[in-house]
This record gives sequence, structure tokens and C-alpha cells, in this order.
Amino acid sequence: MTQIPMGAVPKKDNEKLKVLKKPNKNVFLQMKKNYSAYLFLLPKLILFVLFVAIPVIWAFVLSFQEYKIFGSEFVGLDNYIKVFQSEAFLVALKNTLLFTVVTVPFSVLSALVIASMIFVLGKVSQSFFRSAFYLPTVTSMVIIAMVWRWMYNYEFGLFNYILGWFGIEQINWLGQSSSALWALIIMQCLIPFGVGIIMYLASMGSISHSLYEAARMDGASSFKQWLHITIPLLKPTTLYLVLLSTIGSFQVFTQIIMMTGGGPGNATETLVHLIYKTGFRDFEFGLAAAQSVVLFVIILIFSIIQFRVLRHDE
Amino acid sequence: MKNVLKKSVLTLASLGLAASVLAGCNGDAEEAGNADEFKGKITIWDGPRWPDKDDNKYHWLEAKIKEYEEAHDGVEVELVQVPWAEMGDKLGVAIAGKSWPDIAPVDISGSSVSIDHIEQGVIEPLDAYFDKDAKADFYENALDAYTYDGKMYGIPNAITLHSMLLNLDLFEEAGVTPPEGGEWTYDEFLDAAKKLTFDRDGDGKTDVYGFSTYVLPGYYESWPFFYKNGGSPLNEDMTEFTFDDPETVQAIQDLADLKLKENAAPETLGGNDVGGTFQAWANEEQRTVAMQPWATWAIGAAQGKYPTNFAVANYPTGKSDKPVTIGGVGGWVMFHQDEDANKKAAVADFMKFISTDKEQFVMAQNYGIFPARISASEMDPFKDNPEMTRAMEMSDQVVMLPRHPEWQKIDEAIQTQLQLVFNGEKTAEEAMADAKKTVDELLK
Repeated sequence: MTQIPMGAVPKKDNEKLKVLKKPNKNVFLQMKKNYSAYLFLLPKLILFVLFVAIPVIWAFVLSFQEYKIFGSEFVGLDNYIKVFQSEAFLVALKNTLLFTVVTVPFSVLSALVIASMIFVLGKVSQSFFRSAFYLPTVTSMVIIAMVWRWMYNYEFGLFNYILGWFGIEQINWLGQSSSALWALIIMQCLIPFGVGIIMYLASMGSISHSLYEAARMDGASSFKQWLHITIPLLKPTTLYLVLLSTIGSFQVFTQIIMMTGGGPGNATETLVHLIYKTGFRDFEFGLAAAQSVVLFVIILIFSIIQFRVLRHDE
Repeated sequence: MKNVLKKSVLTLASLGLAASVLAGCNGDAEEAGNADEFKGKITIWDGPRWPDKDDNKYHWLEAKIKEYEEAHDGVEVELVQVPWAEMGDKLGVAIAGKSWPDIAPVDISGSSVSIDHIEQGVIEPLDAYFDKDAKADFYENALDAYTYDGKMYGIPNAITLHSMLLNLDLFEEAGVTPPEGGEWTYDEFLDAAKKLTFDRDGDGKTDVYGFSTYVLPGYYESWPFFYKNGGSPLNEDMTEFTFDDPETVQAIQDLADLKLKENAAPETLGGNDVGGTFQAWANEEQRTVAMQPWATWAIGAAQGKYPTNFAVANYPTGKSDKPVTIGGVGGWVMFHQDEDANKKAAVADFMKFISTDKEQFVMAQNYGIFPARISASEMDPFKDNPEMTRAMEMSDQVVMLPRHPEWQKIDEAIQTQLQLVFNGEKTAEEAMADAKKTVDELLK
């Protein structure tokens, strides 16, 4: 087996790269040449077009219409104007932002800390904790929400039971405007970010040991090694996880519908729950589509900001 | 031989239907079509009803389908089983995608199908298939619930209402006498609720509360309390929000004060936990609440799965001196059909086939609902069921909710504010003043 020095590219591959950099003018000819690759991609592409691309485009078109079962009407920007004039949308946006701003840093940071603690363990322990922390990711959020609903139960819930040990009065966690959203935030924070832990562990494994050896020789403590080697080198993973969890937090829905229904009042109303209600309860699909497009733009803006702030400096 | 006889009877029934169709359609025979000429598939959605010995909760409709298919060569009826909790969402998606079934059990003022859908032509009118005499067999309020703009948009199948359910064991334990004949004033109710709130084991904590219910959009268990002084959410012509009138505000505050001032209701009063609330009343291991208002299905549950020693009572009366309850009407609707008049007639034929007085009688006996047909009620389905009989006596107290195209949004605006009254964040006056701002916008 030929050893390839790091950073070097085999001659043949180098030529291929040049071809990629300067695409052949005849795209179809190239596609024909690589038809087997396209054939492998085709099933996924068809599914993507059918179930993602077309619905997304249709939602955008729908956002300029007043949806009616038999013949929708074009209404221009009316739906978008309604979105920004709606108090319910602004409340939902505020709640969603608070949820995101608190849960995303906590989830990513806790994933980093947990992964760092697991990484130093032996193989068997690592496998055990890796599986244990990933378990909530493969568990239905409906089930998790039901369990947490019980834990927050005023009379029989775990939290009020524990508070009782210290003589603290019971809290109506999900029944008071002041505590309901925070109860959902606490729940989100305490559910291990399984994907994050697994990805951090994989990324940590790819950091060269020589860097740590050099740091140790310079007398750096374990914490300093973590702070100045591990964290900076995990930056691309962190960026990806922050983006992933931000998108997930903006789309929080299952917990809301299972635990509070957006109440009490509108204390836990979030954007996706509002979109769901607008579409499937009020049947205002045009308005719901406009709300979705606005949510898409908000997520896009946040993603661009995060990408610029956290991107890996070459 | 038996099958042949059954087939003949059904054929005769169909001929009778055809005749009544012709009689009822006032010469509009083309629109009514001929059910006997239809060959093809009819799709019906239904939710689980009462179980048979194999715990099959769709056995009633499956048997009716079999019977109908045997009598109508070339007609296939497909049953799609949909859990009730998913019915609204599934119908909503089906309507949005124009992939609706031919028939579904729908309350047209409910969450999945609204007046707006009728205006858009999603629901077919059935007047061509019902003459005046056929309509006369339905209770007026049941028929009204499926009538819009003078046309009949469904076959009423069942009437439901809400009633107060009293746990008689807890009444006895607290030494409280249940209201005589189930009739009482709000003061008597309040007095009972206070006495029924007690510390059973002397540990200083309340073990049993007098009353509880929940407040949630789409649920109206607590609402008859708000009507007790004669109030209603909208004025008669539905142009103005009226739940903010002082009498109604007082009625709302009275019920919230049951928890906030009188401590006769648990902290969860006015919350959103429907299942938890019911368990607190019915579950043998809990029984922490003595009185709760429920729709009639709960009577069946308390007689079956959660055996409870209970009585049915009216909602307490207020300044209006009249007991009030909120009712609902369930039934079958036909979704928009393309131009095939014969299919339309066949769908209507099948709808009538499953809505006869006999079927409504069977459903009343087994499923805890009141028949929408007068003839079915006259068969006395509850002669061995005093609780259901008592609840049925409340039929004349029923007030229907306003049938406004924006009702779901209006309901949410009111209920979300009510939640804040019950958790003590707003007074009833403040909450209804805030609800008014939203509702009046919707009424414009």
C-alpha cells in the first residue's frame, strides 16, 4: 500500500480536481460520463424534490395567496403584513427567541462538557455513556414530554415532591405564566444533546495527540489543554452543533402541544405551534405559509450570524 | 333464505328511499340521482365506539357495512379507522389536500369543519334526500345544528350535553346532602364545595376538594357556570362580545374564587390537564375531587371502566334562576362529490342506513349519547340507566355555542384569558376586557 504524505494529493486525483475546478462546458456530457453516480443519487433526489423542494416552493407561492379549497386568490403581501401586525406572532417570536437563546448555549456547552468527561474514560465505559446519553435522541419527544408532564404535575410530580423535602411550597410549573416557559426551557436543557455528544466525541478523537504532548511538555494543565487545544480545534463541530440546535429550538413544537398547548394565556406560544394553529385549526394556509417563510428568514439570519462569528479561521 | 329475506327488506327500503328522494327533491331528480345505479366505492371515516367481546371498537359500523354491501351489488364501503384525537387534524389535512372521505362523523361547528367550509362547498347539502316528514323525526335543536343558510348539511346522530357529576361516597364522607333532584343554586353549590373540601388524615393538608374543572380552547365544561347570570359570549346577531358584561364577569370571578378565595378547589382548577382532572374525580386511587362537570361520555366511563358511586346534577343556577348547560350535536356529513349524482345518492343512502332510529337507539344504549331522532328516544334507551335518564332530562337546558365562522379564534381569545383568571394573574374584569379587544376585531 502506497503511503501518501499529509497534504499531498496523488497525481491522478490532482488532475481530477483540476477538472472539477474548471467544469466542462458540456454539462450533459459530463453527466453522461458519471451516469452511475447520478443513478445512485436519483432515488434520494426524487424524494427530496417531491417532499422537500416542491412543498417549500409551494409554501412560498401560498404565502402570497388567500387559500381557498376551490380556487385560491392572489393577495400580494397581505399575509406578510398580517404576520407583522399580529400580536400573537410577536409574542410567539419573543417566546421562541427566549427559548432559543437559553437552550442552545446550554445544550451545546453541556454536550461539550459531557463529551470531554466521557472521552477520557476507558473503551467500555465510553461505549456505555455514549449509548446512555444518545438514548433520548432516539426516544420520541411525545414520550419524553409525557414523562416531564408528570414530573411537573402539581400534586404528584417529582419536582414538587422534592421541593416538599425542603419545606418549599408546591409550584404550579405549567399552570402559571411566570413559570411555564421556564419549565419547558429547563426540560430542554436537561435532555442530553445526544447528537452533540457523539459528534464532539468523534471530533475529539481526530485531534492529534502530539498537540497535547507538546502542551504537557510546556507544563500546561489538563484544563488549559482543554481550553486552548480542544475547544479551538472543535470550533467547526461547535459551529455545526450551534446551527443544528438553533434550527431545532426555533422549531420547538412537540413539547408545546403535549404539555401546555401554548398556555396559560399565550405564555408558551411558539412560532411553529402558532403556524400549526393558523394552518390546521384556522385553515388560513396562506397566512401560515407567510409565517413559515418569516421563520425561515429568521433562522437564515441567525445561521449567517452564527456562521460568521464561529466559522473556522483557516 | 335469511339473507335473501334481509336483502329483500333492504331493497324495499332502498326503493322506499328512492321514492322519498323523488318526493323530497321537488322535481330536482337529476341532482338527487339514483342510489341503485351506483357501482363503486364509498369511503367513510369513523372513530372507535364501544367494544365487542374482542375489544373491537369498530364492530358496529363494520357490521352495518357488511349488511349494506350484501344488499347492494357492486357497492364497496371502505371504513378508515381514525382515533378521535386525530380526527380533527386528519380531516383538516384531508380538506386542505382535497382528499376527503365521502362520509365522516363531524360536528360542523367543531374544530375540523366550520361554517367557512360549508360556504366554500366542502360539505354537500342533503335536502334532496330528506323530505319534510323525514326531517320532522329529528329534534329541532339537533337539526338546527346541521342547518346553515336554510340547508341541511348533515344527519344529526347524537346529542351530548354537560352535567355535574357528584361523587356520592365523598358527599357521605363529608356529611353533605346532595342537591334534591339535582337542582341547586350557586350559593348551595358553594356551600357544598366548601364542606366537601377536607383534610382526611389530619396532617394539615387538604386531601379532598369540593370542585375542579379545566379551561382549554374547545372545551366547555366550565362555561355553563359563566351563563348562570344570564350571560352569553356574543350578542344575538353576533356583532358584539358580551362576556364582559358585569353579570358574566361576576359569574366567572365566582368560579375562579372557588380556588383563589374559598380554597374549595385545587390549584389545578382552570388548568389544561383534561385526563388528570378526570382521574382526580374517577380514579379509585385518587378520588380527590367531589364534584366535576363532564360531557355525557363520562357517565358511561363512571359506570364502566371507573366504577363510581355518583349522581348527575344540574349546573347551579345564578341570578337568571334557570339551569343552563352547553350542548353539542354530532352527526354524519357528506363531503363534496364530483358530478356523479348517482354516487351522491348512494352516499346519502348509506348515511341514512346508519342513522335510522334503530341505529341511534343502539348507539344511545352502548355509547352514552342521546339520540337525535325523536323516535329513537321514544324507544327509551335509558330505561335501566337512571344517571343517563337524569342527564337526558337536562336536554331542555341546553344552550348551543354561537355559530360564527371565526368561532375557533373567538373561543381561543376567551379561553386563554379565562386561564389567566383561574391562575390568579388577572381579574375576570381585566381578562374579559382584554378578550373583548381581540374578539371585537374578529367580529368586524
